Amino acid sequence: MEDFEDELRQALERRPAPPGLKRRLMEKRRAQRTHRPVVLWQRLAASIVLAAVVGGGVVWRNVEERRKGEAARQQVLTALRITSRALNQMNAKLAAHGRAAQE
Amino acid sequence: MAHDWQPDFEQLVDEHQSMVFSLAWRMTGDRGLAEEIAQDVFLELDRNLGKIETAAHACFWLRRVAMNRSADALRRRRVRGMDLWVEMEDVHGVPAENRASPLSARLEQLLATLPEAQRAALVLRYQEDLTPEEIAATLKAPLATVKSHLQRGLKLLRAKAQNHLKEYVRAKEYLEGV
Repeated sequence: MEDFEDELRQALERRPAPPGLKRRLMEKRRAQRTHRPVVLWQRLAASIVLAAVVGGGVVWRNVEERRKGEAARQQVLTALRITSRALNQMNAKLAAHGRAAQE
Repeated sequence: MAHDWQPDFEQLVDEHQSMVFSLAWRMTGDRGLAEEIAQDVFLELDRNLGKIETAAHACFWLRRVAMNRSADALRRRRVRGMDLWVEMEDVHGVPAENRASPLSARLEQLLATLPEAQRAALVLRYQEDLTPEEIAATLKAPLATVKSHLQRGLKLLRAKAQNHLKEYVRAKEYLEGV
């Protein structure tokens, strides 16, 4: 068994790396390093645009909701004003009618 | 904890390129793919250089990432339905002076026919001379599993080698008889 293991150890000796592997690797590394700041800037710019779009959307929605709320409040106030005027008129008529009955 | 060791990327490449390439080649059986894996492993090391604390840590890290990347490559090939294992010597033409003996060359080819987990354990044991405990740490596998893979892989490889030798002797006797 030991002979077989020795033979296997011999068969599995490390093989030399292909010639030029280090050179190609260093070129790739250099390319990635020069490419990396550009990618970072692109990512940063994309993030800012995305944040601006999302933030703008949220602000627009808030403003729109506030505007609709204000319009509804104005409608309610108008309705109350009309009701109040009608009640006042009715009250005046009833008062005039009461006075005529007393005379 | 502060550590004095300062990693030098180029020096690490010089020291370990043969190890990383050999691991990837023996796991995938494809010389071109093994070179790609080796490059990826070293580029990943470059990105993680700040986390490497000692020379031994660098070696351990490279072995583990090389094995992981090789396993990923094998998985991708399986998904694509490609038969990865090619005849290493025939396709990639290793120079004759690099071959130890016909049996060694045959053993390397037979190793390629073993299941992936057994192959990984045997490569780390006999190429890298790691103990079963170190193999378990490298592959993040239980020690008992690694021991079992080593035992079964060795047994299977031995049986295949014996068959090969018998065929070789039979063929030789036949040729001598003719």
